[in-house]
Amino acid sequence: MYVVVSYDIPQDKRRTKIHKVLKSYGQWMQFSLFECNLSDAEYAKLRARLARLIKPDQDSIRFYFLCACCQGKVERIGGEMPRDESIFLV
Amino acid sequence: MNDQEEDMGTVYITQEDAYIGKTDERLTVRAERKSLLDVPFIKVDGVVVLGRATVSPAALNELLERQIPMSFMTSTGRYLGRLEPELTKNIFVRSAQWQAAGKPEKAVHIIRGFIRGKLKNYRSALLRAQRDYPELQLQTALSRLEQAIVPIDKTPEIDALRGLEGTGSAAYFGCFNQLIRVEGFHFATRCRRPPTDPVNSLLSFGYSLLRHDVQGALNIVGFDPYLGYLHVQRYGRASLALDLMEEFRPLVVDAVVLSVLNKRFLKPTDFTAEPLSQAVSLTPEGRRTFLRLYEQKKQSAFKHPVLGRKCTYQEAFEIQARLLSKYLLGQTQQYPPLVLK
Repeated sequence: MYVVVSYDIPQDKRRTKIHKVLKSYGQWMQFSLFECNLSDAEYAKLRARLARLIKPDQDSIRFYFLCACCQGKVERIGGEMPRDESIFLV
Repeated sequence: MNDQEEDMGTVYITQEDAYIGKTDERLTVRAERKSLLDVPFIKVDGVVVLGRATVSPAALNELLERQIPMSFMTSTGRYLGRLEPELTKNIFVRSAQWQAAGKPEKAVHIIRGFIRGKLKNYRSALLRAQRDYPELQLQTALSRLEQAIVPIDKTPEIDALRGLEGTGSAAYFGCFNQLIRVEGFHFATRCRRPPTDPVNSLLSFGYSLLRHDVQGALNIVGFDPYLGYLHVQRYGRASLALDLMEEFRPLVVDAVVLSVLNKRFLKPTDFTAEPLSQAVSLTPEGRRTFLRLYEQKKQSAFKHPVLGRKCTYQEAFEIQARLLSKYLLGQTQQYPPLVLK
């Protein structure tokens, strides 16, 4: 599934932690916004990890799901482009 | 296969003295105090280290836990060995694999499949070249290949089958030079350990990479890669991986090598020769070009003739391993090698 994750975390330290976790599951596209291509299990794990980190009364995280059809229709002008995940060469 | 698996890629580390570590659930590669790579483990399905690298204990642990195989090669692409995650617990596959080694008729059927697959793919490669370039002199090689293919199914002795494979391969490599259609590259005969010309060095490098992928697929399906049929047992040799590679050699490696050369992605200046051993290898830049094209080939899709659906070569390694396991377990009557027109 293709998930767009956005978050609003007032406290810097907690926001950094959330950011680090999200980097393990997807790609950072903009401030407070990630795009992740995940299996059901990976999504469940990510969600659980994030749920443990946030303070629900101050923070918020949103998961927006894109269907396969809509995923291809995302338009991007400027900024980060999705990385090539078929090969990692260093 | 779900769509996630198509998104996974192999990590190739060509940077000398890189440090491979783990941060959160990501694989990181650093060198000279700079971060070179930082990717989630969920996007990685294999790691190939070319040259020297340090792997942190945490990264090793994570690779094993996630069953991500890691192969080590010299910087010139000679295969050294690999970190193999635990074999799958499917004892039935391994037990059937061992039993077939003692049953000549099953082993012979499998060997016939590997050889038929390889030689038929050689033949299609030559036929395609003949069609595209009618001026090539491929008829002799084609008829010699044909003479090696026809008796395969009537030959009961394993050594005689190996002989047919040898004849067929000799015919194919005898005219391989004609398939190279650019100035500056020449192929005389297959030579290894070390390869002493650019074409042989590309072939050897490609076969090393293919071995990493095929051995990984065999491991996922539950085979013991060290017990083969066509390649006899030898200490420390992944014989079954070498067996299953046969049908893929022309389809994946030879095809990439020829297209790299004929489309001029690599020039003679992308190769260097070692003064003493005459070993020829790629420059770092050339190596990156070749790795990228090999990976592209692996991810390219075609219609699987037996399953009748689209798959990539990367998936086909595993599909062929599963078809082999089905035959060994008695669930199918025969092993169909991957033969593409």
